[in-house]
Amino acid sequence: MGSGESPKVGVFVCHCGHNIAGTVNVEHVAELASEFPNVELSTHFMFMCSDSGQALIREKIEELGLNRVVVASCSPRMHEPTFRKVVEEAGLNRYCFEQVNLREHVSWCHMKEPEAATQKARDLVRMSVARASLLEPLEVKTVSVEPHALVVGGGVSGLRAALDIGDRGFRATLVERTGNLGGNLAKLSTLYPNNEPAKDVVDRMSLAAEASENVTILLNSEVTNFDGHIGNFEVTVKNNVTEEESEMKVGTVIVATGFDPFEPIGYYGYGDSPDIITLSALEEMKRDGTVLRPSTAQPPKNVAFISCVGSREEGVKGHEHCSRYCCTAMAKVAAELREEADEVLMLYDDIRTFGKGHEDVHRRARQEHVIFSKYNKKKKPAVKINDSGIMLKWNDVLSGENCEFRPDMLVLANAMVPPEGADEVAKIFSLTRSADGFFNEEHIKLAPLTTHTAGIMIAGAAQSAKSATDSTTQASGAAAKAVSLIARGEVEIESTVASVIDELCSACHTCVTACPYGATSIEATKGVEVARVTEAKCHGCGTCAAGCPSGAIVMRHSTDDQISSMIAALLSSAFVHGGGEK
Amino acid sequence: MSKKIFDPNIVAFTCNWCSYGGADLAGISRIQYPTSAKVIRLMCSGRVDPVMVLEAFKNGADGVIVSGCHIGDCHYSTGNYRTQVRFQALQTALESIGMDPQRLRLLWASASEGQQWAEAITEMTEQIKKLGPSPISGRGKK
Amino acid sequence: MTEAEKLATLSQMSPTQTALVIGGGVSGMQASLDLADQGFNVVLVEKTPSIGGAMAMLDKTFPTLDCSACILTPKLSEVARHPNIELLTYSEVTGISGQAGNFKVKVLRKARKVLEDKCSGCGDCVEHCPIEIPNEFDQGLGFRRAVYVGFPQNTPLVYTIDDENCIKCEMCVKACEREAIDLAMKDEEVEIPVGAIVVATGFELFDVSKYPRLGYGEYKNVINALEYERLINAAGPTAGHLLRMSDGKIPKSIGFVQCVGARDVTNQVPYCARVCCMYGIKNAVMAKELQPDNVKNVTVYYADIRAYGKGFEEFYNMAQTRFGIEFIRGRVGEVAENPKTRNIEIRVENTETGEYLQHEHELVVLCPGILPPKELRVIASELGVDVDSDGYLFVEHPASNPVDTKVPGVFVCGCAEGPKDIPDSVAAGSAAAMRASITLAKGGEV
Repeated sequence: MGSGESPKVGVFVCHCGHNIAGTVNVEHVAELASEFPNVELSTHFMFMCSDSGQALIREKIEELGLNRVVVASCSPRMHEPTFRKVVEEAGLNRYCFEQVNLREHVSWCHMKEPEAATQKARDLVRMSVARASLLEPLEVKTVSVEPHALVVGGGVSGLRAALDIGDRGFRATLVERTGNLGGNLAKLSTLYPNNEPAKDVVDRMSLAAEASENVTILLNSEVTNFDGHIGNFEVTVKNNVTEEESEMKVGTVIVATGFDPFEPIGYYGYGDSPDIITLSALEEMKRDGTVLRPSTAQPPKNVAFISCVGSREEGVKGHEHCSRYCCTAMAKVAAELREEADEVLMLYDDIRTFGKGHEDVHRRARQEHVIFSKYNKKKKPAVKINDSGIMLKWNDVLSGENCEFRPDMLVLANAMVPPEGADEVAKIFSLTRSADGFFNEEHIKLAPLTTHTAGIMIAGAAQSAKSATDSTTQASGAAAKAVSLIARGEVEIESTVASVIDELCSACHTCVTACPYGATSIEATKGVEVARVTEAKCHGCGTCAAGCPSGAIVMRHSTDDQISSMIAALLSSAFVHGGGEK
Repeated sequence: MSKKIFDPNIVAFTCNWCSYGGADLAGISRIQYPTSAKVIRLMCSGRVDPVMVLEAFKNGADGVIVSGCHIGDCHYSTGNYRTQVRFQALQTALESIGMDPQRLRLLWASASEGQQWAEAITEMTEQIKKLGPSPISGRGKK
Repeated sequence: MTEAEKLATLSQMSPTQTALVIGGGVSGMQASLDLADQGFNVVLVEKTPSIGGAMAMLDKTFPTLDCSACILTPKLSEVARHPNIELLTYSEVTGISGQAGNFKVKVLRKARKVLEDKCSGCGDCVEHCPIEIPNEFDQGLGFRRAVYVGFPQNTPLVYTIDDENCIKCEMCVKACEREAIDLAMKDEEVEIPVGAIVVATGFELFDVSKYPRLGYGEYKNVINALEYERLINAAGPTAGHLLRMSDGKIPKSIGFVQCVGARDVTNQVPYCARVCCMYGIKNAVMAKELQPDNVKNVTVYYADIRAYGKGFEEFYNMAQTRFGIEFIRGRVGEVAENPKTRNIEIRVENTETGEYLQHEHELVVLCPGILPPKELRVIASELGVDVDSDGYLFVEHPASNPVDTKVPGVFVCGCAEGPKDIPDSVAAGSAAAMRASITLAKGGEV
């Protein structure tokens, strides 16, 4: 289809079962849309994304010669790729597709106002039809993929990922900030559910990684600069000891930056007594030998644990999440301490021993007569410290009784929180973060390993708090994503980049200063200075186009005309209909 | 016409990465808010040309929201710094043409801030209801 | 390609370039895609007529309430259209021999009686079929004919004739313009050489009637959670209308009973099923969302709320604050029916207050745990892979090698290894693909 052809728009309104149709009158929207300019066909269907929905779109494109397609369904963040593929299969350019979000932006957030929601749906469809009429086909470009992966973080996740990529026959460079491999796992004694020593796990993987000819390990190193696109990223890694910087090209990245154990300052007297320690500190003690009461260097006789320290705190930013590992870890170590200690008490809110073998760990703790007591979430346990030691007071929810216990050691099951430097990592790799502070996956259900930045994967605790097993599972999975990119050797990239209309450019340099990537420059062509866009560097944000005082920059797929047409389509209708019709 | 309840029409420019995601999350979390705002999705809030904002007002918008990632969190590293600077210039421009600057709002909303998105739309809708229809829209006179 | 050509091709696969994935649920689908995307061939064997597994039956997913079909459907198409994936639905693995790099897999192609290469999925045959039987996909709540697809997104979109119920009237044969129906079709067996194997056989739902005191099967208004999913699903037997079985009324009060067939040593399910707390909360929220004006009370009876995953705790909080779901900590002792109203009385001790409660609900939903599927043991023994005490596949080094079985070249993902939710199953699917691809790339060398 040439760009000169007059637009023939097809509008497909999706019911999404009840999701949209339960609130929005989709039949009515489809009917109204048939009157919009350039609309050749407007129809509705139960599930546009289903095979039969997709077939309907393809069929209508062929039957009616549609050259622009508008699907009014869910968020384009979910299905834009799906529908782009559909129109492509029918011979249209993928950029001739436009999606309207009637679900996340209409039916789900205006459930109690079906009429107003239907009107908003109508307006949004009108806007998109206007834009669709102005959409231009763009050339689809592919780039080669550098057969080399960067793995950020040398904990179990990073190790697993690097090893898998190496074993598969491709190069991986693993960058670790500290001087050691193994991350937080290296600080643990033994692991649930099978009591495997953490050291064995770390050794098994780090020795293999060191032996692998495909894996390069850079310790004491950090990524300081990162540029480029999927397939061709340029990375600068700095060694923090030698201060040397090295540069490399990679095709894909796995971010496995893990977590930090939460330092629970201000919680349960932490810091006020040497005998109040975190679960992470207890594990380190166990790893190094025996557990001794810090103040006396004697084995503790009465030990208490408190769960959810820095986790599950509703309304406290960065601490609302469950840390997923602590219940089982706590039950395991409580049972082990019971072999020596007279009494071991575990104060909990819910026992979340959910994973494979976790209930066995939980049951064993009960068999060992670890005392389990459910505390009151609204009135958490109180810790007092005086000359005679630690006094723990709480309300046992199940008996309703107020209880007291004098532990000679109190262990706080501290949360997993995003590691120091997560801000930097997010910035470097353009990752977004969820409310808990961990990095966002592309889709929480079906795309837990890829991110919104093409070519960049996340794995392990970088994505959310989790155990070693769940982390290495994600790591192998993320490695699969990296490896498929490399194995294919090339990848399609977005064509939505800026370009310059030479005749309009006054070489004012506004775009040069506006571009975050140095993609624009001023060059002399035929003796006249004009702006140039280096397409490979352009990320398509459009900041240059917005700033250009001469309108000389065309932002492909987001042109001034396309945007203005949406504004006009919305507001001209307001004049006609008098705004809100009520 | 005079009996009609005034239902503001707000043009909301959002970036694709943070704010559009935040608006998605509001829906996913089933947070309810007024139907006034109609989103125009751009890749970056830095794509919002001040001319487009003025065009929206000129066409009769009762309000305009420009929404992007928080400063420092921009998917395009620094695009939203531009947004901020342009926003300030726009506010001055609005004042000088006699348009209440409260009709234009800059909103930083991340992909995890569905609640903030919904609250901002609700607040702005209320505010504009108080201000009445845009003087340009021609709907102000009974 | 005709069936005969397809089988001939399959028997000639190059083992070092081909992996077998057993099970077409979300985990097996992901494993297949991640292997196929690397350029390897994948033979995906699924015993039911469609891929999609349990996820296809779900209405919404936690913690975002995304509709399951919406997010799954594109994956179904992706698998079906992938040039490197050979989809064998309505088929079963019956034998495995050999070793990494060179396994021989026997696959039984059950006679579908419909030619896959000819059926266009138009459904013209359906209305001519005189037989109506309960639809397994709808948990028996709706009906299907003897020629059927379980659900509209059935992938591949090919009809199947259920031989057991077919009366050979040949009405469908006459109705099919494409001559795609062949009632004389016989089961066929094919031996396929493959280099690596991924086991993704999923789970079976615990049979809640094993707790007679909870009234399932005896009282109409006691249903299980998967039946509830189908009831609230727009494509389900009630077109998404939440109603109770006894009288078709919208239940004003619903009770959800957690841990039915989980964390119970006496019923041989000592482990936590990992998904029920969250799907229970999700279903509770959905009742309020679907019928905000009619459903007045929704109560969840639980032992511990295990909201462990990303966004789960936040969802649990939202269920309480935004949707007003009530949570009572206590294992339900027994239920009884009020014979007049057919309402269900739940007897439970609130362990947080010590109160003994008798709560009446118009509908009670039992939230079953999950079990390893029956055939897993057979497949495990064919493969020479151990099962653990809970009946799932054994993994020797879960911390470092979470998807490796003890048999080289054989990997496990999803619920075949133990209960998992969707994202954990998807991640494990990708992981198994990664590990299997190493075996293939090395030509089976360990």
